[in-house]
Amino acid sequence: MKLAPLNTVQNAHDDSVWTAAWVPATEDSPPLLLTGSLDETVRLWNPEGPEKVQTNTGHCLGVVSVAAHPSGRIAASASIDSFIRVFDVATNNTIATLEAPPSEVWQLQFNPQGTTLAAAGGGSASVKLWDTAEWKLVAALEVPRPEGLKPSEKSGSKKFALSVAWSPDGRQIACGSMDGTISVFDVPRAKFMHHLEGHCMPVRSLVYSSAPLDSRVLFSASDDSHVHVYDAERKTLITSMSGHSSWVLSVDVSPDGAAIATGSSDKTVRLWDLKMRAATQILTSHNDQVWAVAFGPPLRTDVRSCLLASVSDDKSVSFYKYY
Amino acid sequence: MACVYIPVQNSDEEVKVMLDELPLDASYILDILKAEQAPLDIWLIIAVATFLREANKFLESQNVCEKEYFIQGKVEQFKQILEEGSSPGINSYIQLLMFLSHDKRRNFMLEVDEYYANVTYERIEILNALGAYYSQLAKVENEQREKEDYFIQAAKYYNKASRIDMHEPSTWIGRGQLLLTKGDFEQAFKAFKIVLDGDCNNVPALLGQACVHFSRGQYVDSLQLCKLEPDNVEALVALGILDLQTNEAAGIRKGMEKMQRAFEIYPLCAVSLNYLANHFLFTGKHFLVEQLTETAPAVTMHGLTRAHSYYNLARLTTASAIIRSMCIITFLISGDYGKAGMYYMASIKESKNPHEFVLPCYGLGQVQLKLGDLQGALTNFEIVLEVQPKDCGTLKALGHIYVQLGQNEKAQELFRKATKIDPQDPQAFLELGEVLMSTDITAALAAFKSAHDLLKKGNEDVPLELLNNIGVLNLEMGNFQLACETFKEALGDGILCEFFHAARESNMNLAQTDAYGESPNQEEQPNTSHTARSNLIDEALYAVDASSTIHQYKDFQWLEEQGVYVELPWDKVTILFNLARVFEQMHNTKSATILYHLILFKYPEYTDANLRLAAIAKARNDVQLSVKLVLQQNPANLYAANGACIVFAEKGQLDIAKDLFTQVIEATSGSSNVQMPDVLINLAHVHFAQGNFALAVKMYQNCLPKFYYNTQSEVLLYLARVHYEAQQWQDCRKTLLRAIHLDPSNYTLRFDVGVAIQKSSALTLQKTTRTVDEVRATVGELRNAIRLFSLLCASSNLHFHGLDEKKIRSHVGYCSHLLEAACADQELAELEEQQNLQRLEVRRRIEFADRFS
Repeated sequence: MKLAPLNTVQNAHDDSVWTAAWVPATEDSPPLLLTGSLDETVRLWNPEGPEKVQTNTGHCLGVVSVAAHPSGRIAASASIDSFIRVFDVATNNTIATLEAPPSEVWQLQFNPQGTTLAAAGGGSASVKLWDTAEWKLVAALEVPRPEGLKPSEKSGSKKFALSVAWSPDGRQIACGSMDGTISVFDVPRAKFMHHLEGHCMPVRSLVYSSAPLDSRVLFSASDDSHVHVYDAERKTLITSMSGHSSWVLSVDVSPDGAAIATGSSDKTVRLWDLKMRAATQILTSHNDQVWAVAFGPPLRTDVRSCLLASVSDDKSVSFYKYY
Repeated sequence: MACVYIPVQNSDEEVKVMLDELPLDASYILDILKAEQAPLDIWLIIAVATFLREANKFLESQNVCEKEYFIQGKVEQFKQILEEGSSPGINSYIQLLMFLSHDKRRNFMLEVDEYYANVTYERIEILNALGAYYSQLAKVENEQREKEDYFIQAAKYYNKASRIDMHEPSTWIGRGQLLLTKGDFEQAFKAFKIVLDGDCNNVPALLGQACVHFSRGQYVDSLQLCKLEPDNVEALVALGILDLQTNEAAGIRKGMEKMQRAFEIYPLCAVSLNYLANHFLFTGKHFLVEQLTETAPAVTMHGLTRAHSYYNLARLTTASAIIRSMCIITFLISGDYGKAGMYYMASIKESKNPHEFVLPCYGLGQVQLKLGDLQGALTNFEIVLEVQPKDCGTLKALGHIYVQLGQNEKAQELFRKATKIDPQDPQAFLELGEVLMSTDITAALAAFKSAHDLLKKGNEDVPLELLNNIGVLNLEMGNFQLACETFKEALGDGILCEFFHAARESNMNLAQTDAYGESPNQEEQPNTSHTARSNLIDEALYAVDASSTIHQYKDFQWLEEQGVYVELPWDKVTILFNLARVFEQMHNTKSATILYHLILFKYPEYTDANLRLAAIAKARNDVQLSVKLVLQQNPANLYAANGACIVFAEKGQLDIAKDLFTQVIEATSGSSNVQMPDVLINLAHVHFAQGNFALAVKMYQNCLPKFYYNTQSEVLLYLARVHYEAQQWQDCRKTLLRAIHLDPSNYTLRFDVGVAIQKSSALTLQKTTRTVDEVRATVGELRNAIRLFSLLCASSNLHFHGLDEKKIRSHVGYCSHLLEAACADQELAELEEQQNLQRLEVRRRIEFADRFS
């Protein structure tokens, strides 16, 4: 497995690029990359070229998260002002504006089935779920407070929800918090299951394995500069991988499930071989913190390979080929 | 292979019993003995053999080579007993008693008593054995009531034996021993006397009587008794002990001679071995000690004696450890201590009851202390203290351990006790003072003073540390004069003292120099060489003081070139330094400076002196000097410099602070291993405070990637503050948003964004000329601010953050008010714009029409 740098778009945004997500290909369009930035815009990129397809405005204060619906037709973006904008990818028409005050909105994620949108609710210490048919708030999965603490105590920020991830079957949600714990929820029953412990600093990114047999394996990236691999059901830490010299800001798993990519404050993108449990490649195409890495769908020309995109505080977007 | 033949009753046949292969079930043998009505001596033999087997079993289970060796020896001894068995004398009886400690054998004998009611002598023997068995039990029993019971039992058997034969000496001896055990010396004496009246050479009775005398403290009497039989080993040993107890050189020599004789007569006498070993330990013949003491535990079963042997071995190993530490063979020392610890432990195990022999506990405690096992040492010393609650050494040792464990109060208590028990022990006062130093200065000082006085009274050298402590405590209590005198005492006579005098009087002398011109007071002082020297010193000191810059050691050098060698032993540096501190406290800055310079001249690496000089310089506002002094030191002191700079900055002396920070940065820039982001940040703070926003921004921005991988939201906050003050609203807003992104749970940052937007909007609205776009943007921004503030407001009752709801609400109100104004402005501006456009349109049309007309 290897990453080959393809090209980098310098000044892809007017300011730090904070988030990225791949929009799956549709009949009319190839797979596109969606990026969000401090410059309050969301932009669409065609990796062929690469060229900018579109610039969406409408957010105030920086865009912290973008997510694409599995159909590839709709997407959502969230900003520091705690609004989520759901829009049509092709036309940029606003479909819905979502909010769940006073909870802020951090990471967004559609479930693989495309029926629900999940958002990490920050200080409300919960994951908010909206159904994608009527865009109604259907559930709030609360992270239980630590035992022995009264609700009145100033402990809300402890379990501050920062990141979410859906299991491939859409039945489980993992939610990463500021204090480093990961909470696992049973979605159909809307119940908290257990915590996964091991990180001691904020968990900013989570992803379930894409390999068919490892569907309960969860990867987490934390400010403690480690990447953890958990068995989300047996709540055990399978392994802990270190190598980054600063915060790990983002983690994504390759479509074949054999590798993960991470982006870090140490300005590097790393590719980790899961069999070896070690970084096999360190890419230094960015010169500032790498806020997001995202594996794209398999290439049409070669189904065994796919694209990887990374975005950074240096305003650039980079594309790589993973094969 | 030893065996006994039990004659079969009414026939010539005999049953052969192998003593080595006695059946496990003693009742089988018992049956044979009963059936054949075997002679009594065979009973005894079997009894002893049974015991031996069990003893063997016990010792094998311990599985220690030494013990096996011991068994070998014992077996030999027992063969002897068995050989003598046919004439069961007092000796074999006493030997037997030694091993009577088992119920089984008691039953054995009871049965014997029953079966052989008509055999007088042997029965007496058996009854005596039982009596002795019970007195033995009584001896080892700790419970008072049980003890009484055993005494009664024992007395019963002796009475029974006496009924059989009133005059049997062994019964009387047994009775005497019982009484001795009870502590009834008068009766015991009588019992022994009865025996001696019959046979004045009865050795056990003599020994018993000697014992009575000994217990009564009538050593000489017991001595005489023992002299009756010059070759009796026990007697010799007893005499030897008596001689040794006299504690006089002659007595000890005589005692040792007796011990040696005992050893020569019977080389396996453990007691004499121990005493000889002890003696050689003192005289330093360590090889002999080892040999002697290793034999001793092998030849005796007696716990206490064995304990003594192990104790000696332990002391031997400790001694060798100490010798090694003197020879710096360090790698062997800890092994030695470990071995010593093992021996001490063996010794403790042998003696079982610490009340009988407590010394090994003390030794083990010492060894554990050496090896750093504080808890172990604590337990052992506490055992010692329990036995000897008034032992000063133990109290001090325990105190010492508590100090190390950080339990100062307990340590204090112990040291106090020690000083009360022995008010003449300076060491105890010293330790007490040291413990008290952290809590009660006055008491500590009192303790130190007592120690000092005691040492002085004893004409001993007062340690410099003690004087130093007294001085420092006086200094801390503000008794500067006393402190000064104490330090002076510590410095002693010599050049230093002179120096210090000179330092004090230099002013006066200088005045004199002025008055007398070139050659001052030479006629007045008889000791011209002394005067010359002090003048030289004066001159040098004048130079030192006048220069008041660093590295002016030339003057001291000059002084040395003039033949006045300034000696400063290493152990007096601290005292000199403290003296200088006293001078400083007395505002005699000049003398202090001189002394600090002297210290630095001799010990340039003595950083404290340098720092004090820096502090003095700082107090004089001589900033440059102070920083230079600090920066000369190792990087650790950069933190101190940084701190000093912060003080300046806080005081508002920003220019000074800036200079200093810059110097610190320069000092660090050379070495790559010292990275001080704090200094850079502080310098940026100063730039900011001075209004040099551009530079401040640059510095903060440099720091972020350099030290924090851009992950420090705090620095971003500083940066935002500069932008705010510089009214760079876009930068301020973006910086704060970045900070929020890095630290999402910090709600204060959200509040700050709101405030920044509010401020910029208010300013925009106040502007006299503004474009429509500006106003439009302001409207949008105000909506953002209101959104941010209301979200904060809504979450405040959920306790996400600690911001005051009322305050946020007032911001919401203010922003809404601004928004109204802005909206009105926007309408106005848009209207104006439209009118402008219309006007332009009209003009264009007019122009257009004009052109065509």
